[in-house]
Amino acid sequence: MNALLTSVDYAALSPLLIILAGALLLLLAESFAENWAKKLAFPLAAVTIILAFAAAYYAPHSENRLLTPWLSFDTTARFFTLFFLVIGLASVLLASAFFQRFEASHGEYYFFLLSSLFGLILIGFSADFLTLFLGLETLSIPLYILCAYMKKWEISRESAIKYFLIGAIAAGFLLYGIALTYGALGTTNFANIKDHFQNLENSSSHTLFLVGIALVTLGLAFKAAIVPFHVWAPDVYDGAPMPVTAFMAVGTKVGAFAAFVRVFFVALPEFDPIWNQGIAALAIITMVYANIVALRQVQLRRFFAYSGISHAGFLLIPFIAETPDAPAALAFYLIVYATATLGAFAVLAFLDKDSLGVFLRNLKGLFYRSPFLAVIFALCLLTLAGIPPTAGFFAKFFLFKIAFEAGYYAVVIVGLLTTIISAYYYIRIISLMFSEESKETEALPKSWPAAIVGSVAFAAIIIFSVYPEPLMALMNLSK
Amino acid sequence: MPKLLWLFLIPFLTSLAILVLPSISRRNFKRLAVILSLLPLALLLPFGFEGWLGEKVQVQWLSSLAIEFYLRIDSLSLLFIYLTAIVIPVTLLALKSEKLSFPKTFYALVLLLQGLLIGFFAARDLVLFTIFWEAMLFPLYFIITIWGGSEKRRAAIKFLIYMIAGSSLMVAAVLGLYFSANTFKLDGLIGNAEQGPFAAWICAIFLLAFSVKTPLFPFHAWLPDAYYEAPTAGTVLLSALLSKAGIYGFLRIGLGLFPTFMQEWSPLFLGLSITGVLYGGMAAWMQSDFKRLIAYSSFSHVNFVVAGIFVWHQTAHEGAVLQAINHGITIAGLFIVAGWLEERLQSTSLSPFSGLAKYLPQLCWLTLIFVLSSVALPGTNNFVGELLILFGLFGVHPILTAVLGLTVILTVIYMLRLMQEVYFGPPSTFQHQWVDIGKKELLIALPLVALIFWLGIYPDPVLKQIDSVVETKSHLEAS
Repeated sequence: MNALLTSVDYAALSPLLIILAGALLLLLAESFAENWAKKLAFPLAAVTIILAFAAAYYAPHSENRLLTPWLSFDTTARFFTLFFLVIGLASVLLASAFFQRFEASHGEYYFFLLSSLFGLILIGFSADFLTLFLGLETLSIPLYILCAYMKKWEISRESAIKYFLIGAIAAGFLLYGIALTYGALGTTNFANIKDHFQNLENSSSHTLFLVGIALVTLGLAFKAAIVPFHVWAPDVYDGAPMPVTAFMAVGTKVGAFAAFVRVFFVALPEFDPIWNQGIAALAIITMVYANIVALRQVQLRRFFAYSGISHAGFLLIPFIAETPDAPAALAFYLIVYATATLGAFAVLAFLDKDSLGVFLRNLKGLFYRSPFLAVIFALCLLTLAGIPPTAGFFAKFFLFKIAFEAGYYAVVIVGLLTTIISAYYYIRIISLMFSEESKETEALPKSWPAAIVGSVAFAAIIIFSVYPEPLMALMNLSK
Repeated sequence: MPKLLWLFLIPFLTSLAILVLPSISRRNFKRLAVILSLLPLALLLPFGFEGWLGEKVQVQWLSSLAIEFYLRIDSLSLLFIYLTAIVIPVTLLALKSEKLSFPKTFYALVLLLQGLLIGFFAARDLVLFTIFWEAMLFPLYFIITIWGGSEKRRAAIKFLIYMIAGSSLMVAAVLGLYFSANTFKLDGLIGNAEQGPFAAWICAIFLLAFSVKTPLFPFHAWLPDAYYEAPTAGTVLLSALLSKAGIYGFLRIGLGLFPTFMQEWSPLFLGLSITGVLYGGMAAWMQSDFKRLIAYSSFSHVNFVVAGIFVWHQTAHEGAVLQAINHGITIAGLFIVAGWLEERLQSTSLSPFSGLAKYLPQLCWLTLIFVLSSVALPGTNNFVGELLILFGLFGVHPILTAVLGLTVILTVIYMLRLMQEVYFGPPSTFQHQWVDIGKKELLIALPLVALIFWLGIYPDPVLKQIDSVVETKSHLEAS
């Protein structure tokens, strides 16, 4: 048992280690050489993430028994690590676009961002409830601080407090759920949970376990912002600085679903049809509610909060259906959602001039002020709406296909009907951008990092739309 | 590369080429766009009709979803592709390029629409069919919302939402078919589609989508606004081509996959379509605006075509296919001359001026040709088509034939009222912008006029092609 860590193990862990080293370096730099940090924090963070990406790409699988009970080095972990790192890089670029406009110290910001990223990657790697919890908390705590990063903005402080309190409650539920499952099964390790559960003879342990799993689901539903556990999202998205909102909209969402994958695909596949029914109900409520409320939003960050909530409803579909294709469908939808959302936030970065939020009316006539931004934004919105022939259509189509296959017709019908509503609110924005009367004459700021994110998202959507096949095959757990 | 793939790709490539091209003078731009839009026709013509039949492109595209990129040409596809290839260049030619804002975007969108329509008419994979079906809305949406009249945004979004709502459940229907026959390919679905579970629902969903796009009475609420607010080119594309997509859907999916249901439900649809013919005619009679008048007349005529589809008689089916093509030609001509008239009058109202034949004799005679074609004067194309439909209907239901026959008189009434109010009657005082159309405009209209008389006097070659379509269909019905 006392095997030491070998170089292969370190290599397998390297993405985590690189992020950790980069984050600590940033913190040191900020403490001892503030002027230096101001200039170099952004490139350092970006380089760290790129290095981690390369490391994750080539990382071997570790079989060391010191690590495997806690971390699993499988395709899922690799997929999520690479995915999170791309999201991280986009967030860093958006953050630098933000700091071009607002004076604030930089080093800490990127430190917190990298710490959150570390937490995200840990979720992807987790092979035990405890590592999963650790990952979620490492993700969340820096985010609470990032929410209030602009210390003088009152709305940010409010949003940070809300986020912190709700996050703490969610963590409490999650931990309590984990404790109950441990009480029922005597293990927190994902590899053994299902066997232990199936061997349970004692009916009270059975109940204990189901209550535990229900609480775990609830805790994760808070993080993923699923109705009725979503109330924090609009306020927090609204109050946080723009790049933090972007990171939450994409990173936290994908992280929460990575946790769902770990618990419900890897650890407990098809453990009880009741759970699937319950999730189906949640998905339907989420799709209907979020889409209807999104209709009334006039502030784009709140709008994206509700749009994100409605997408979370769609993202639950693979967990309802649990067909062999489900993980691939989930992965594809997550990628498309993340790309389009990041692209949209990159455009918002140009428009959000005093970080009061972009209102729908600010978009009036955007096409005539900047066709470049308007076209990117339009494509991202059409993708989020799932309009063919964008990749968003294939993503939704894939989900509906697996739901249909598993016989959840109600979910398919409700999902399709809510897409009419969502088509309306996404297209209404597009329609505003192409309307003539633009009152704003002020030139739009130039920001190359945001432009990069926007253009890459734009190109990626076009490529995904024309040839999505490689992405669809990316996370095929059945193989 | 097979020529069908070229035919499909050329419009997309030319659309892209127009976008990236450096700006040149407006007139040259228009010339270039017209030449590019003629390329598909130039590719079609050398092989005539027979040379194209049976051409196909079949590539594995999304194997995870079992979607193939599968295009194939048969007589039905080819007729509609020819219509597309002819109407689009004529529409562009008839355009007044001097006042067009954002010419690049406009031409790119029209060419994009051309590609999507060709893809749609050739698609043999149900998902591909759905993708083109939805995607073709967006070029038209942007054409209305950017270049339309005063209420363009409202009209454009109404148009789009109606369309999306009409076909929102189509994805569920497509999936339903997939799981009944385990393929998305139309070839594989023929004969199996009606056996699967929920077959009647699936058929109803498809027919609803087609009814909204065509539009069949009473799903036409979007039509008056969209036709009226769109720029002339947009109205031509909507009426001549988009409505044909709906009719093609009835023929391809309805008759092809669900002949039994179509036959069973034909009394309902026949009732609706004949009501539509009457309603459209009455509404056209009541209009005080010539663009709206022609819009309602178009609505009335497409309902006539739908009536032909639902008359369960081979001759009527032949007439419906022919009439679909005829309507495309005639309505394109009518809206184009109406557009020229609008440019000269600066309004589309019927009342302020009369007796314009005195000042605009050539425009008057040209309009008269299209009007006479529209009222199905013997010797013009519509006469043949309407006669075939009425003849087929007579064999099935003589009394309805009398009702439908009366609507032909209704057409004469409102169309001659249009001529009477605008061109004849006491001449108004001359205004300087009333410059008659010249040789150029006559030349532009020449292909449409030629087609009107060709199909009116010697429709045999086309009818032969249609025969083969209808025969294969009835062969399927028999088997």
